[in-house]
Amino acid sequence: MSEKKKTTMEILREKVEELLRTDRLPHVWCPGCGIGIVLNAFLRAFIRAKMDPNKLVVVSGIGCTGRTAGYVNVDSFHTTHGRAIPFATGIKFARPELNVVVFSGDGDLFAIGGNHFINAARRNHDILVIAVNNFTYGMTGGQHGPTTPTGAYTTTTPYGNPDRPFNIPHLAISLGVPYVARWTTYHLMQLQNSIYTALHRKGFRVIEIISQCPTVYGRRNEMKNPLDMMEYFRKFSIRKDDATAEEMELTYNGKIVVGVFRDVQGIPTYEERYEELLRRAQK
Amino acid sequence: MKPGYYFWSGDIAVAEGAIFAGCRFYAGYPITPSSEIAERMALRLPQVGGKFIEMEDEIGSIAAIIGASWAGEKAMTATSGPGISLMNENIGLAVMTEVPIVVVNAMRGAPSTGLPTLVSQGDFMQARWGSHGSYEIISYYPDSVQETFDLMLDAFNSAERYRVPVMFLLDAMLAHMYEKIYVPPEDSVERVERKRPTKPPGEQLIYEADEDLIPPMPRIGDGYKIHASGLTHNEKGYPELTPQAQERLVRRLNEKIRKHQEKIWKVEEYRTEDADVIVVAMGSNARAVRTAVDAARNEGIKAGLLRPITIWPFPYKYIEKYSVDYIVAEINYGQIYHVVREYADNKVELLPKMGGELHTPQEILHALRRYKK
Amino acid sequence: MKKLAENKPPPKKRGTVKIIEERCKGCWYCISYCPTKVLVVSPKLNEKGYHPPELKEDPPNKVCIACHLCELFCPDFALIVEEIK
Repeated sequence: MSEKKKTTMEILREKVEELLRTDRLPHVWCPGCGIGIVLNAFLRAFIRAKMDPNKLVVVSGIGCTGRTAGYVNVDSFHTTHGRAIPFATGIKFARPELNVVVFSGDGDLFAIGGNHFINAARRNHDILVIAVNNFTYGMTGGQHGPTTPTGAYTTTTPYGNPDRPFNIPHLAISLGVPYVARWTTYHLMQLQNSIYTALHRKGFRVIEIISQCPTVYGRRNEMKNPLDMMEYFRKFSIRKDDATAEEMELTYNGKIVVGVFRDVQGIPTYEERYEELLRRAQK
Repeated sequence: MKPGYYFWSGDIAVAEGAIFAGCRFYAGYPITPSSEIAERMALRLPQVGGKFIEMEDEIGSIAAIIGASWAGEKAMTATSGPGISLMNENIGLAVMTEVPIVVVNAMRGAPSTGLPTLVSQGDFMQARWGSHGSYEIISYYPDSVQETFDLMLDAFNSAERYRVPVMFLLDAMLAHMYEKIYVPPEDSVERVERKRPTKPPGEQLIYEADEDLIPPMPRIGDGYKIHASGLTHNEKGYPELTPQAQERLVRRLNEKIRKHQEKIWKVEEYRTEDADVIVVAMGSNARAVRTAVDAARNEGIKAGLLRPITIWPFPYKYIEKYSVDYIVAEINYGQIYHVVREYADNKVELLPKMGGELHTPQEILHALRRYKK
Repeated sequence: MKKLAENKPPPKKRGTVKIIEERCKGCWYCISYCPTKVLVVSPKLNEKGYHPPELKEDPPNKVCIACHLCELFCPDFALIVEEIK
């Protein structure tokens, strides 16, 4: 075969491989799990952003998505359940030049880690949060979590879920988060572009990705094949960037409003405000 | 801080001692009787270019300092019993991933909310076994404001040297008590920095221990592609969920402290050489005991005081050294008592107190009089 | 989709799909979402017991057009698309 010039997409694919700890593949995620798709999109966005991988830190909590840190070939931390955000806060605050990304799941970030999420968002730390929402606690066998839609069947809601789920974009917006977006794993390019944009923004940035868990969620909710959930995302998602809080709400097998709900610039981050404080203290 | 004499509380001495030791990162949550440490840090850290953050809770605080430590800072937090209870899971994470941090616990009356403003020594065993699993930790406990300041340096040095969380014990009495203290010149002490990797990125395994059983610690951002996990891991840092990996890792985590314990031990032996009876007491309670020992000596009772300054790993050889009767005076219903019993040849008596106040010298003296010959 | 592949003139861009079989977990997103339907379920099993996809082209129209969609969909990093023309 003659030497041919590699295309952009081919180079991108090669660099994805470099950013993975390939000696650990195949990964732990089940067949059809969406987390791998999100990780792929994240790595591609990061490569396109041409940022220094030596300055990238990925912090995960516990759970299926919590395992992400173990597969990225950069400084990466698999912490305790719910504590990815404060752990990342310590890193970012200690060394603001680092590019800190929290990659974790819905249970980890919004149930056990909910307090950290709202307070880190309030302080506007310069951290990108990739929140993979698969509606359930996958690692422990499919119990209902803070994002399980009302009425859904899980191992701990055998008669249907009586809880109300979090409306994550609405929560983030109410906390003044400067960049809030939601996608599904079907939105391959929109998701990648959104992460690319978010990597260039400052402050607390939240991207919620609705992801499929065919193994323990889908099979109890009439979507037992990986493809069934993907088709649900394809058919039921609507892009609406100016969606109202009510429209962002997720219902059981109902429509999924996706889009970039907030993208504002110029809000000072905690780290910037502290730099200013240091100047005052050292006068 | 300029060298010289100051009039500080134990809490202030903790903060100043930490800064003196090189601490430049503090994350904490207010709780009596340790809040003044946070207040002092908030005032002083920015002056020396350090970072202070008040977190949303104690769990966030300890998670933040573990992150900051990986980022290369000497980091600490301070709290009291209820806060320690919340932090314990992450103390386990710091043990497992070998992160140098200092956690200050100003002990107060307990269980639960107990006596927030009053003294207790109920957290010895919690300091040792607070997190789940079998591990070794280092713990110091001073008895004066001066020693608090001086010992903060040891706390940071040991944390850095052994890559382990150090639990710095204090009590409500010491935290709020003011004393005159001396701050030595900046360059008069040795500050230990953690061992850095000697091999370049790519060749350095993240958890490859040297002969001293301690692996060098890379810093985030230096290209080492660190992976740290609370899961049982191999030398690469990758999760390896096997009995063999568990045996290798957890045994080393314990051995790396046990191997160096004699260097970590600090003990005060007060009039013990010819003693017939030795009172074991720690922290501010030892001050009352010292007075009682002197009074007993005046009455012809050969009493002494043995004060472990290093609580964990327990300096048991000092207990074995004396073939005498021991009285353990502690502000709890028997914790160090059990450890002393494990190593003592003769009788060990417990002099407990549930908390709220120290033993009075009279109470100790009363117990010592039984040993009058 | 079928019509599209049959009635259009042969695509200019041509590619091929390299399959890292040991990473595949058989979700078959690649097979389902391939616009020219050139991926099919392979009868063989990989070491984890999954059926990976295999490339089955039927020129001139039913060929890999190097669109890279399967590469983006694959949750297991098991596919590499290369352009050959």
